Amino acid sequence: MLTGLAVVGVARFLQQRQDFEDSTARSYQVEIAARTRLSNGVDPAAARAVILNQQHKRQALRDDIGGETRDTALLVGAGLIAGLTGAALLFSGLIASMRRPLEELVEASGRLAAGDLNTRVKIGGLSETASLGTAFNEMAGELQRRAGERDQLETMKDEFVLTASHELRSPLTSVQGFAELLMLERDKLSPKQADTVEIILDNTRHLVRLLNDLLDLARSDAGRLTIKPTVIDVASLVEDPVRTMLSQTQSKDQALTQAIAPGLPPVNVDRDRIRQVLVNLLTNAHEYCPAGASIHVTAGGNAGGVELAVSDNGPGMAADQLDHIFERFTRGDAGLTQHVGGTGLGLAISKSLVELHGGAIAAESVEGQGSTFRVWLPALASNGPARARVDAMDEAAVQSREEAL
Amino acid sequence: MSTRVLIADDSETILLLLRTRLEMEGYEVITAADGVEVIEAMQRTSEPKPEILLLDAMMPRKSGIDALRELRAEGVDTPVLIVSAHQDEMDAGAATDVEVSGYITKPIDFDQLFSRIAELTA
Repeated sequence: MLTGLAVVGVARFLQQRQDFEDSTARSYQVEIAARTRLSNGVDPAAARAVILNQQHKRQALRDDIGGETRDTALLVGAGLIAGLTGAALLFSGLIASMRRPLEELVEASGRLAAGDLNTRVKIGGLSETASLGTAFNEMAGELQRRAGERDQLETMKDEFVLTASHELRSPLTSVQGFAELLMLERDKLSPKQADTVEIILDNTRHLVRLLNDLLDLARSDAGRLTIKPTVIDVASLVEDPVRTMLSQTQSKDQALTQAIAPGLPPVNVDRDRIRQVLVNLLTNAHEYCPAGASIHVTAGGNAGGVELAVSDNGPGMAADQLDHIFERFTRGDAGLTQHVGGTGLGLAISKSLVELHGGAIAAESVEGQGSTFRVWLPALASNGPARARVDAMDEAAVQSREEAL
Repeated sequence: MSTRVLIADDSETILLLLRTRLEMEGYEVITAADGVEVIEAMQRTSEPKPEILLLDAMMPRKSGIDALRELRAEGVDTPVLIVSAHQDEMDAGAATDVEVSGYITKPIDFDQLFSRIAELTA
């Protein structure tokens, strides 16, 4: 409307200008006619009066058009300013009506990306932003639906592994049981038959280990891996698995030693599960190290917690292998795995178990010089974040080991 | 007189394995294919009662846990070892509300089984 004012102003200005020019032209025509009469000597007094009159008239016209032009210019100017202001207001209103929904969309995208799949935006604003909002909501809905499907699949997978593990256990019990039955009468078997049965038993035990490991992982994934902690003295926690492994390491001429720092605080752990972790670490050291190697177990720590470490002087690992060592089905060098009976799941499970205790596990290795696996467990009263303490533990552990040795 | 052991499992192969190993150890063995047969065996008066029950946790018709719950409700205090595939099954079996002498997991560690039976029937 205000812009209309400017347009009206400009139109009026043009009309006035036209009128002014028409009047001026007529005035000149009258004056020229008067001057012609004057030069011809026809009534010179009257002609002079007409010329003067016309000059005054044009002056008046000029004054008039000057004032009118100023007024019109003012009108046009005001119209233009008002128009521009209106346009600016309209534009900023337009921007605001686009901006608010857009800002909400940006914020909602952030929430969605952060995993809040319930995120939806309010549909509003211009039709373009509204349809953007609708599209966003549809996308969020689709993401949510797919996440739901994926969770359902994960649950089905976990259930499947648990059921499969159960169903496989009965036939495995029979295979192992009857093979053991045969071995009870080993003296009645030929050496070749006895070896055959031994192979059946070895592989059955391997299958059982694999089944147990898969079951643990499925439990872990399903959030059903649980621990039953009791307060335990660190020495007994270490000594038991070491004793268990002694016959195996001795059969390979490997030296298995332990050093437990005095005065360690008791820990609140699931004895069987930490035993499982230590047996896993010791079994790895035993299997990957050549005959004659040394395996050393230490227990150190401070008031905050306890660090258990299994070190060996075996082949060690390359850096790229070390990076993936706690991942599933990651195993040592292929050349070595021929002789290794592990499932490739032990360290992944150990990591889950240690973390379930609020602890941490870490590995370090120098290829050709050996490996060290460290397990940090918080002390009874300590509930602090585990990872921050691992580094702090290293020094204390090394120190206490030197003392123990 | 040798100790009588009742074993219950829905797998005939497992029953054969358990019977063979237990008989080799000098036990007298009675078998049941499910919880219903366990209850029947415990109600029979024609023969002496078993001194220990070895029940599979999961069996069709009636599970070992359910059979045990019924027996305990009737006042039977015979020691019972529950055989189960794995820890989850024991937890899921809600065996916490009924008195169990111990658990044996599959595959069966027979040395462990024999020592548990010997302890419970001493």
